[in-house]
Amino acid sequence: MRVRRHQAEVHESTTGIDLAPMLDFVTNLLIFFIITAVFVKEVSLEVTRPTGEMKQDKDDNPENAAIPISVLMDGTIWVDNREVDVRAVRANVERLHAVRPKAGVLIVADQNAPTGTVVEVIDAARLADVYNITFTTGQ
Amino acid sequence: MRSQRHAPESEDHGIDLAPMLDFMTNLLIFFIITTSFVKEAGITVSKQAAMTPEGREHGNIMIAVTESGELWMDRQRVDFRRIRSMVERLAVERPDDSVVILADKASKAGVVARVMDEVKIGGISEVYIAADDASGGE
Repeated sequence: MRVRRHQAEVHESTTGIDLAPMLDFVTNLLIFFIITAVFVKEVSLEVTRPTGEMKQDKDDNPENAAIPISVLMDGTIWVDNREVDVRAVRANVERLHAVRPKAGVLIVADQNAPTGTVVEVIDAARLADVYNITFTTGQ
Repeated sequence: MRSQRHAPESEDHGIDLAPMLDFMTNLLIFFIITTSFVKEAGITVSKQAAMTPEGREHGNIMIAVTESGELWMDRQRVDFRRIRSMVERLAVERPDDSVVILADKASKAGVVARVMDEVKIGGISEVYIAADDASGGE
């Protein structure tokens, strides 16, 4: 494709297409995408839901049985059959994690337990370097 | 026959815009590709603060669970059953999306667990729970 010769002779200064409007448009698009790109930034914690396979693993291998943490309706936390404070969850998980390094954490929450407490427990487990966290609710 | 004449003439223009245009087009494409098309929940909840939350590139379907157990998704109040069909539709459009649940700290764990199950049945297995970053920018 080349510029028609006659037109080129008439408009001597133009070189084919005028890029300015396109450039304006592209700049606007660019600014739009830059602005919207940083709009929503949620930080979050990874959790999994229990699946059928996990149950089998657990039965087969008691060494790797998950560390159970219960969250009751009133927000109290039980680790290893003892009631613990939110701030003590991390230490407890660290201790149990040292015994069973491959074990994940299983959070068993009451249906009516506050989610905030559950998130605090997840956070404590992550601080104790356990990232395999499963969340389930008592039926 | 030839349009060789253009070469000397184009020097009249002050700046050659072509490289700048190339560069800007690249930037534009980069931002279009990296933009995650976030489906906002459309409601603000007070989340639990946590020390270890991570930002995620693909966390872009937001489902909010309010204190009273209302569910919000894509700027509208939804029902449990609606979550499944909405997630199914979005999972078909963009299969590597993940879901972030914005749960109020006083919401019930049972509701959050049920939402997670609905999302899983809907075909997205990556589910995260949102938290406020309390680590002080570490």
